[in-house]
Amino acid sequence: MMDNHTLTLVVADAALIAPGLRRVHLRAADGARLPPAAPGAHITLSLPGADGARPLRNSYTLVSADPEHGYELIVRRADRSRGGSRHIHEALAPGDVIDATVPHNLFALHSQAKKHLLIGGGIGITPLLAFVARLRETGAPFELHQIASADEIGVFAALLAPRAGEQVHIHGGRTSLDLPALLAAQPLGTHVYTCGPAGLMDHVEAAAAGLGWPSSHVHREDFGAAGGEPFVLRLAASDIEIAVAGDQTMLEAIEAAGIDTPSLCRGGACGVCILPVRQGEPEHRDHFLSEAERAQGCHVMPCVSRSRSALLVLDI
Amino acid sequence: MTNRPRYAPLSPFAQARAHLLLCDGAAIPDDAFAPGHGLTDFPERWTVAGHALVMPQPFGAPSEQRFRSASHLLALLRHRLAAETMGLRIYAVGSEPFVWDVAKIAREAGMGREEMRLFACGAPERRVACVHCRTVNPGVTTTLVTCAGCGAVLTVRDHFSRVHNTWMGVQCDAEAPGEVPPVEDLCA
Repeated sequence: MMDNHTLTLVVADAALIAPGLRRVHLRAADGARLPPAAPGAHITLSLPGADGARPLRNSYTLVSADPEHGYELIVRRADRSRGGSRHIHEALAPGDVIDATVPHNLFALHSQAKKHLLIGGGIGITPLLAFVARLRETGAPFELHQIASADEIGVFAALLAPRAGEQVHIHGGRTSLDLPALLAAQPLGTHVYTCGPAGLMDHVEAAAAGLGWPSSHVHREDFGAAGGEPFVLRLAASDIEIAVAGDQTMLEAIEAAGIDTPSLCRGGACGVCILPVRQGEPEHRDHFLSEAERAQGCHVMPCVSRSRSALLVLDI
Repeated sequence: MTNRPRYAPLSPFAQARAHLLLCDGAAIPDDAFAPGHGLTDFPERWTVAGHALVMPQPFGAPSEQRFRSASHLLALLRHRLAAETMGLRIYAVGSEPFVWDVAKIAREAGMGREEMRLFACGAPERRVACVHCRTVNPGVTTTLVTCAGCGAVLTVRDHFSRVHNTWMGVQCDAEAPGEVPPVEDLCA
């Protein structure tokens, strides 16, 4: 179940903009206006799984969202794709119809910020492109630092070219950006937003915390830390056992078994999919539960978290 | 119903780049600090001396700075925060109007509630804003006060504006003209 309204979208355009990066324009299949979305919002697409297997639901950030002209996504082809990005790169064609959730925003710009510091890594640039467009409109102070691998600097320079300016910087490799120095130089009232590999975002969080930034000024966006050891899930109330494959999330396994359970961001951020644990040791990968809640081991976010024990028993 | 602020005794934030304590010059009671903490936890202190002979001292290493008046201190605080970087925490101790003046300047500089701690002490003293004429009446210590702007006799309601740093004053006999409630001390 998707506990929210579903949109039926049609692919208006899909083009390879760089090796491994595909830009997709989506419009409403019936030509109606789409719901508006603030920068940082994402939608969850229902995509056919590999080999006609279970459908996948992947969340993608909207690079731009216009009720009249539709939604724009940029999708990187994942090396170890579970089928979602591979489908978008290999099969998706103009005219295809896709079901999607309405946009949700868990990574919004903070309206009270005196300055916005944007730090992107690789394809994590997608929400930052939407941010920069908005910040240029409003004239709010900002700085963007995009980290790209050396061979992709040109790709990101081209993506940012329409929005280039003295606030926009591209760095080749993480070591070429002195994060602590950058964070230490920010005026009071700055909010930092980071999107990219978990290692980069952890680094930003740790460096900011070390410099005394309050956590309320540090924002991160991450989707899908999927994959791990397979394990067995027992749903106590439904009295069924499900095998969770290594390349499958717990939430996907539950949905594949035909059990309705609410979900939203599917990235461990929103907390909508929280489930009670009766037995077993969860491996928490979300950003929703507090340390104290994790230590209790009573709840788990099935969209990203897995199990340390071979068997995890949930109270559903 | 009251939204009267409640204050926790001060202790330094665990993780911060720098700390600045602002005092309005009145004696700081022991209970202003959490157990095990005290003035020495705050090496950089700004204090109102309330004296015209205070000489400006060079800014440099964390130290104690003294100011002629609260207005003097607040003006320089505004200047200081405009040049500050992330990671600063501020603490204010003194009368309620003073600590919320500090909070307002910090908020305008971009600091959030999670970057400041306030502790109001001393005899209750309220700034009362007349809802009828907008005049702010400082130093109110009783439940009834005559507005210096429009002359209305105001009941001081237990309603505090953290944005304006004032308590709400409403004409005391607005509902039943002539029925003036007894005056009470705000300390009670």
